[in-house]
Amino acid sequence: MEEYHPGDEVSFSPDEASNVVKECIEGIIGGVDYSQNKVNQWTASIVEHSLTQLVKQGKPFKYIVNCAVMQKSGAGLHTANSCYWDTTTDGSCTVRWENRTMYCVVSVFAVAIVL
Amino acid sequence: MANKPLPLSQEILAQFNLSLATGSCVPGPPRRRLGSISTHRSSKEQPKDQPLHRPMLLRAMTGPSSDSSFLSPNMSNSHISFSKRFSFAGWHQGGRVSFSGLYLPEPVQEIYKENTYRTGPEEGSRFSASRTQQITQATLDRYLEAVCYSPDSCSQLCQMLSDLVLSKLKDVNPPRYKLVCQVVVGQSGKQGVRVASRSLLNVDTDSYTSAVFQNQSLFAVAIVHGVYFE
Repeated sequence: MEEYHPGDEVSFSPDEASNVVKECIEGIIGGVDYSQNKVNQWTASIVEHSLTQLVKQGKPFKYIVNCAVMQKSGAGLHTANSCYWDTTTDGSCTVRWENRTMYCVVSVFAVAIVL
Repeated sequence: MANKPLPLSQEILAQFNLSLATGSCVPGPPRRRLGSISTHRSSKEQPKDQPLHRPMLLRAMTGPSSDSSFLSPNMSNSHISFSKRFSFAGWHQGGRVSFSGLYLPEPVQEIYKENTYRTGPEEGSRFSASRTQQITQATLDRYLEAVCYSPDSCSQLCQMLSDLVLSKLKDVNPPRYKLVCQVVVGQSGKQGVRVASRSLLNVDTDSYTSAVFQNQSLFAVAIVHGVYFE
């Protein structure tokens, strides 16, 4: 676990976060097909796993992780977000992933806190 | 040669008096000359075809001579009046001039905020999950009632919904709260969709809500998080 040192100049790094999230997704639904029974636990574990990995970076942020998993059937899916925050310190990143049978969209929002 | 400085000063004086009389802004170049004269009396703004100005002026300032006796009172008067203008009226652009006579940019004035000694949200102004849910649900219902899914327009619709929900919530947002709003819009088909959210928040002060809308052709999910920030 990395320690946080007060006085560090931190802003959110979307690339690092998206790498972390990609690894989490691959680990959980990497080679499997969509299954209605299991999708609940998949989404729950994706978000939990991503969140714990992000927190392990030790940065002074509050995190919000959203995950949407959708079966591939030709239907369309759109996501959008808008945020009312401090653009200098806060940030977000969105990761799109797919395999043969499903789409997975994970959004991470990081809101800075003052420690 | 000693006459040469005279036209310059009189011209400037005339303009200066005119500006005082009318109260209007003196155009740039004469101002520069004003500034350069007051500061160091040998500015680079001086036209290059009159390089002998400088020694003339200095002589006018320092030595008493028949030429300069007429000149120096003028100069000193202009000095006084110039300095008066600079100290009180100020310049329209803040009055900061570098040694070459070019205007320096205004220094950024920092706003100092006083400490309120508040470490948490006030009693009546916490993020209200129920009120936010009502507002979000009402916005989705009102807006998507008669909308049909179309692949071209729905991405813009999604972004617009997100901004709309955020703007509605900003009106009722308690102070010191940041908002994060996400909207998922999809076509209603035979597929299954699952949307999940996890967050690392402070349970005393922060919260979230979600709202779902569905009609024949599309579905929409909106998730709003409210995060306290000091």
